[in-house]
Amino acid sequence: MPRPVAQMVTFTLNGQEVTAPENAILADAALEHGNVEIPVFCYEPKIGGPVGACRMCLVEIEGIPKLQAGCSVPVKDGMVVHTDTPRVREAQEAVLEFILVNHPLDCPVCDKGGECPLQDKSFGWGDGISRFVEPKRHFEKPLALSPLIAIDRERCILCYRCVRFSQEVSEDHQLVLQERGAHAFVATFDGHPYVAPFSGNIIELCPVGALTSQPYRFRARPWDIEQSGSICTLCPAQCNVSFTVRDDRVLRVLQRDHEGVDDGWLCDKGRFAYQAIHVDERITQPLLRDGGELRPVTWELALETAAAALGRGRGRTAALAGGAATNEEGWLLQGLLRDSLDSADIDSRAGGTLPLDLHQALGAPALQASVPDLEFAHAVLVLGTEPVDDAPVLDLRLRKGVRRHGLQLFTATSRPSALDERAVLAVRYAPGAEAAFVAALDAALTGADVAGPAAAAGADADAVRALADGLRAAGEDIVVLWGERVCSGAAGADAARGLLNVAARLGLEGRDGAGLLGVPDGANGRGLREVGVLPNAAPGLAAPDTDGRDAAGIAAALAAGELTGVYLLRTDPLVDLADTPLWERALEKATTVIAHASFLTPGIAEHATVVFPAESHAEKEGTVVHPDGRLQRLRPAIGRQGETRPEWQVLAELRRALGNDERLLTCSMVTARMLESIPFYAGLTLDTIGADGTRWTERPQGAAAPAGAAAPFDLPAPAPAASPNGRLRLGTFRSIWASPEVGASPALKFLHPRQRVELAPGDAERLGVRHGSPVTVACDGRSVTGIAHVRASAPEGSVFLETAIAADSAAELDGPLVEVRPA
Amino acid sequence: MTWTPGPDQIEVVGGPSKAGGAGGLYRAFGETLRGLKTTFMQATEGVTTVQYPEEKIPVYPRFRGRHRLHTFEDTGLEKCVGCSLCAAACPSDCIRVVAAENTPENRVSAGERYAAVYEINLSRCIFCGYCEIACPFDAITMGHDYEMSDYNRSDLIFTKEMLLAEPLERTPLRAEGE
Ligand code: SF4
Ligand code: SF4
Ligand code: SF4
Ligand code: SF4
Ligand code: FES
Repeated sequence: MPRPVAQMVTFTLNGQEVTAPENAILADAALEHGNVEIPVFCYEPKIGGPVGACRMCLVEIEGIPKLQAGCSVPVKDGMVVHTDTPRVREAQEAVLEFILVNHPLDCPVCDKGGECPLQDKSFGWGDGISRFVEPKRHFEKPLALSPLIAIDRERCILCYRCVRFSQEVSEDHQLVLQERGAHAFVATFDGHPYVAPFSGNIIELCPVGALTSQPYRFRARPWDIEQSGSICTLCPAQCNVSFTVRDDRVLRVLQRDHEGVDDGWLCDKGRFAYQAIHVDERITQPLLRDGGELRPVTWELALETAAAALGRGRGRTAALAGGAATNEEGWLLQGLLRDSLDSADIDSRAGGTLPLDLHQALGAPALQASVPDLEFAHAVLVLGTEPVDDAPVLDLRLRKGVRRHGLQLFTATSRPSALDERAVLAVRYAPGAEAAFVAALDAALTGADVAGPAAAAGADADAVRALADGLRAAGEDIVVLWGERVCSGAAGADAARGLLNVAARLGLEGRDGAGLLGVPDGANGRGLREVGVLPNAAPGLAAPDTDGRDAAGIAAALAAGELTGVYLLRTDPLVDLADTPLWERALEKATTVIAHASFLTPGIAEHATVVFPAESHAEKEGTVVHPDGRLQRLRPAIGRQGETRPEWQVLAELRRALGNDERLLTCSMVTARMLESIPFYAGLTLDTIGADGTRWTERPQGAAAPAGAAAPFDLPAPAPAASPNGRLRLGTFRSIWASPEVGASPALKFLHPRQRVELAPGDAERLGVRHGSPVTVACDGRSVTGIAHVRASAPEGSVFLETAIAADSAAELDGPLVEVRPA
Repeated sequence: MTWTPGPDQIEVVGGPSKAGGAGGLYRAFGETLRGLKTTFMQATEGVTTVQYPEEKIPVYPRFRGRHRLHTFEDTGLEKCVGCSLCAAACPSDCIRVVAAENTPENRVSAGERYAAVYEINLSRCIFCGYCEIACPFDAITMGHDYEMSDYNRSDLIFTKEMLLAEPLERTPLRAEGE
């Protein structure tokens, strides 16, 4: 549903007139518009409506004989409210006394001490003296609610916040309140550890020290630390975070609520993977391959060697940028390659590039939906992406839309999605048949023949028709959340054309609250495209002088010896890219492999000739672009560890060594130059980007963006998906936990994925595979092993394997059909 | 523009208007003798100089000297739980506490946490005693020792071990009623 427009009303608060939106919750309105704090414990608007569990917020409203809960009363015109009468004071003191009856008050050993709402409220509204001398309730403490969260049940004040988060926000339905009355305590229903992608949020929600972070346990007090705001660049959701720093070490990551980005939530990867910044495995000094082994060297030697090698390989060097690279780094890298090395072979997309006019059309400002649009649209189609893996916080946003705003959710994916249970309709298609599926949807929207393309997509034609009808019937504000894999591979361009057709048929262009929202593979995928890290696009998505090779082309050319060197900016092709066998040959053959890396992943450890230590996201300075076009600014929270130097500086120095005389002394100089060079960023500065970021697509200067190809297009008949015929179709996915940072974080290590082979119960039975048993998946003489994971919702005829893991990655296999057998 | 002093200006009281005569003589000799009387009276009083460091002035029991950390007499566990409240109270920010968790194998304090690092930078301490007041467990108290000079500033950062150790009794305590 579109955002409701609130009417302003006037009410009286402690004798003063206050104007606030009608039906706003009194506690919020009093604080925001009247500057009066009504103490609350259980009420938290982020979780949802009021529950009235704690009674801390009692206020007096004239005309109502009993005291009312300020967290549950909507503001009405002419209401007269008192929050400071003796009667209210007495009630507040009494409630606090009640809450403290069973509270251990062990503040000195409690991790929440100093930042605890219960301390603040006792100090501000309590009596200061306890009359309670009887023994208190006791529980064993602390217990591990999960490897990440410790629970001290004695301290719990039964506000239900954590339980409501689990039930109503992340909807993992794991936490419940066990027992009754004074014996009540928070636990998972079945006693298993609370392991979920968003579990860490309950630590921040708990108003007392009942739920505390295991990795942060006893590390610091609020007066020992500093908070430093930045952006999490571990995935494209780019949540706004605040790093807790003590003694130049990141000790914790907290949310920095931004309605337009993360809505105040973080996933556990973003919250706990900071640990990878301070581990011994991290590369913190330059390495040079010497006699087959990487050895630490000085920066001077490393830079000299790299510059010399690049100089020798002029015209025969390619570059790849990983998702964590900033706009500045991407811009410098493409300049280094195009201007200093006379090469055009540069890419940031794993699945191959699209024709430039399609890149331009997909990124056109008129067609961009924002993140809040996901919540307030009439309908959202999730196409070819699994939000919880690809951009986790968006999953919570969609669930919120469905739960609170009547959003109609549709999913269309090859692998069953976690959002299916909340969707009006879930449609499946064969892995890799995105282009055919989009063509079928386009046909259904125009009333053309659906059966042909639907059959090619391995999808049910009726379901596709139902999807089209459902979208049309839902309303005008429709957002299509699509994953980069839709427009990848050989048929990627057709899929992009189909997607633009669908957008045109649904009238998404130029409509506020509707549009496309593309989730890239890399955290800053959108920014890297816009600054020209594409083989066929210069900065600003302009046409370059010459087109170069894309990632797959670079691999082939390296393996064939046409290229001799490759520059890897925060990416390891053996982990991040498809077709590992080809890349292995390519890197083996390359004489120069220069890498910026934090960890010795297989490709770096085996093949890099020069390794520069890469910055972590807490050390980085620069800008990134959110998938919805919001430029956001990274600010360093800590000093660079070891001898690490900023990536932009390394790139700038190499640029100088290779003959570009322009001096770039600070990162803000690079930012300014980068922003200048892109017409649709015109007028932006670091100050205008600010702490909350700026959506360039909303600025008038955004109109300077190239328009690209205009829909509708004629779509060619899609190639039919391979028929399984005894074997299984290979689908791939990248888990939320598949990142070197997760593997290196001591607290998260237990989540680091190993190959998991997902298949349907029918197929499993036919192949003699049992859930949890090891299986081998083979294709063309190559095979990987993994643990079978039989999923009731998995479509028959397909098997899904993980990519982006260091061992047994699905990238080893070529597909489209594979054989599965018990190992 | 000239400055005119306001009505609240201070009256300057000058000396006698003119010198000489009997008054002048008295001022020259009489007053000097009166001053010398005090001097000679002191000379007969004996020595008041304390021969520090051989001799020391006893301190009052409430004298705030170098801190001490305490342990429980029965169990030997440290009283400090590493809560950092002393660090929060300290106006000169000279206490550093890094806490850690007690384990069954390594139990240091009576609570769940203990101070893995406890340092007081005595070169910054102003001996205000706020840390002592802040501590919820009486783990830190101000001792009587004031002899802390050293050759090295960094030697004035007292570690937990130094603060836990029984201090040398170097400072005499003033007896009751003295
Ligand atoms: S554990 Fe914390 S958040 Fe959960 S009910 Fe208890 S006090 Fe509330
Ligand atoms: S959802 Fe993505 S950006 Fe947000 S905290 Fe998690 S990894 Fe970071
Ligand atoms: S005596 Fe005062 S200045 Fe010295 S450590 Fe204690 S609180 Fe700080
Ligand atoms: S000395 Fe007292 S106040 Fe300081 S950390 Fe230890 S227990 Fe806390
Ligand atoms: S905040 Fe109103 S009842 Fe808890």
